Amino acid sequence: MATAAQAIPAKPAKTQRSARQRRENFYGYLFLTPWLIGFFGLFIGPGLASLYLSFTNYNIIGESKFIGLDNYVHMFTEDDLFWASLGRTFYFACASVPLSVLGSMFLAILLDSKLRGVAVYRTLFFMPSLVPLVASVILWKWLLDADFGIVNQGLREIGVDDPPGWFVDRRMAIPSLIIMRLWTSIGGTQMIIFLAGLQGIPTELYDASAIDGANTWQRIRSVTIPLLSPTIFFNTVLGIIGALQTFAAAFLLTPEGGGPAFATWFYALHIWKNAFDYFEIGYAAALAWFFALIIIGLTIFQQWLSRRWVFYYGE
Amino acid sequence: MSQHFSRRQFLQMSGAVAAVSALAACAAPVAAPQAGGEAGAAAAAETVQLKWDTFRGPGTGWNEERIETFVQENPNVEIEFRPLTGASQQDNYGKMYSMFAAGDLGDVVAFDPSHYHFWRAIGGNIIGPIDDYIASDNLDLTQWFEQFIGLQTYQGNIYGLPSWGWAGQDTLVLNAVHFEQEGIELPDPVGHETSMATYGEWARKFYNDGERFGLSFPFGEASLVVLCRAFGGDLIDVEGKKSLLLDSPEAQEGLRWLYTMAVEEKILPAQGDFAAAQLEGRITMNWGGSLNVRNFKRDIKDETIAKAHQGLFPTDANGKFPSQIRGGTWNILRESAHPQEAFAFLKHITNTDGCYSFNLVAGQGAFVRPDVVQKLIEQDPVHEWFIPNLENGIPAHAPANSRGREYTDACAQYLTLLLDPNQPVPFEQGLQDLHDNIQQVLDMEPAA
Repeated sequence: MATAAQAIPAKPAKTQRSARQRRENFYGYLFLTPWLIGFFGLFIGPGLASLYLSFTNYNIIGESKFIGLDNYVHMFTEDDLFWASLGRTFYFACASVPLSVLGSMFLAILLDSKLRGVAVYRTLFFMPSLVPLVASVILWKWLLDADFGIVNQGLREIGVDDPPGWFVDRRMAIPSLIIMRLWTSIGGTQMIIFLAGLQGIPTELYDASAIDGANTWQRIRSVTIPLLSPTIFFNTVLGIIGALQTFAAAFLLTPEGGGPAFATWFYALHIWKNAFDYFEIGYAAALAWFFALIIIGLTIFQQWLSRRWVFYYGE
Repeated sequence: MSQHFSRRQFLQMSGAVAAVSALAACAAPVAAPQAGGEAGAAAAAETVQLKWDTFRGPGTGWNEERIETFVQENPNVEIEFRPLTGASQQDNYGKMYSMFAAGDLGDVVAFDPSHYHFWRAIGGNIIGPIDDYIASDNLDLTQWFEQFIGLQTYQGNIYGLPSWGWAGQDTLVLNAVHFEQEGIELPDPVGHETSMATYGEWARKFYNDGERFGLSFPFGEASLVVLCRAFGGDLIDVEGKKSLLLDSPEAQEGLRWLYTMAVEEKILPAQGDFAAAQLEGRITMNWGGSLNVRNFKRDIKDETIAKAHQGLFPTDANGKFPSQIRGGTWNILRESAHPQEAFAFLKHITNTDGCYSFNLVAGQGAFVRPDVVQKLIEQDPVHEWFIPNLENGIPAHAPANSRGREYTDACAQYLTLLLDPNQPVPFEQGLQDLHDNIQQVLDMEPAA
């Protein structure tokens, strides 16, 4: 009886909850709709379209024909620039990312100290990252101009007879780009993220290690770096993705882009050239999809690897 | 009445939207037919609306002035000016091709032969021949330099009218101050008597380690072609199917001439801003074109450091002047609904006033009409120097397969490799690489 009496008023309450739930659901989806339209219309839709195009010979103005795996076969077996550009891109990423991550981490550690005027230093180091990329390329081209640049003029003044050709020397073009990248990236967003990570490390751990007699280096090695490892991981993943997508600097360095003699012909530039200069859109889509798979694979690999070295405090 | 709105339904709807988007995007490759035909004819009695898509002149007021003056004479025509403002001229072609595929490309467009898109646009049936309109209009084609009308012609048909153009990298922009200092007599600016050997000697004489370069040479297709021609050879054949580098001792001699200075003697500057360096008095002879001469003269601030002059290259065996006639075309969309009006507008933007005002406001080298050059000479006699090559130059040879961009890339990258002083490659190997890669491009499937 008591059970039945309780059940009777329970019914309208349930209906009321359902109506509210439905309303909430409706508004939830309504507010999600702009994002969903963007996600499906501007990301998933074009993504699927480009996947389809990668199996065609689409060149914008001509008839598009389904050619199966021809683009992929051409990529692996006939396109000399495919492997070369991939190799250059990995060389650039492998050299620039560790230097950039380590550099910004140690700079953040320095700037995390309680020095007077540290905010001014943080601002100064952050400023290069605010320089637009095109402006920084022009600046560095001017600085490192082989014949008329300030750097080589200075080197000649101190007795270096044959200074490097920098951007116009095939061997030095990528190292020069790495120098340019480090200038903008060491004090940039990565440093800010490291600073945020450092401020999340509990001070009692430093106090405890100090009581145990640890010196500065030991504290960095045994406290800072392990507790900063999630941030290192995050910056490394983003750094690798960014480095692999390097395009603009190489595009702007030489009149035709990618020079001298293909020395800065990176993979992203290879995609761009095929898509928007040669208008081989189908082939460029195949190049892009292969590259996307590489980046996804690398990220998954790093995620797997992170289990061995990333330490989450409190877990 | 309440309607159930489940996650499943919502996701199904979203999935449908995604599928439709994907299918719509997949359908895009098929080139859409352009508007035209009967609808156009029916509309002819009413106000005619033309679309003008151009990257030539936006921001200068030239386009607006041309529209205004045309509409005054043709009140039944309305022209929609649609500027294309890519970061560089080359950036605009992708947009133009996409507009064509979407059926939205304007009636009047410019597919510039300098960028090798002219031939691609013809091959892709984007622009159409205008011979019938020229004939019915009795248009006098001699009002333009013959060379530039020749450049509009492909397989016997004319596809455009020019309002700008130049003779390519056909001169050495000279700093007369250095010649005066060294007591060397300047060459005749309109003469072709100075030999390439003499230019080579001067390049060595004017070189002063760490301070000045006698000669600078841009590593690109435009300068490479003229280098080969200056020695009596050529880079590719007239049909655009064959690289001539290995068959032409003259072209090889030209490249050897340059290789000796760039790689063996290391007296050429690395690629950089040669124009700025020449203004500072650090380069004596900069391989360029008439535009560079004019701009050099214009930009000189101190005549004790730099004074403009030019040196031309020796006449070839056919009496032609080494050059590469480039640029300059306005075209009509093949499927334009109003080709007659588009042709009238084409004439309007390429007539004397059109060319002259384009040159003045846009700062272009619109040297395609003798009457315009005469007007420019009245303003600055330096323009007189450019006439011989405009009258007697050699046209650009385009790859028959419309692979112009791949061709220019191959030229620039492999020329840089051949002339790299930092990691020298033997001349024969560099030459072979350059030849092979140019030929590889010429052997590719047609682009359109």
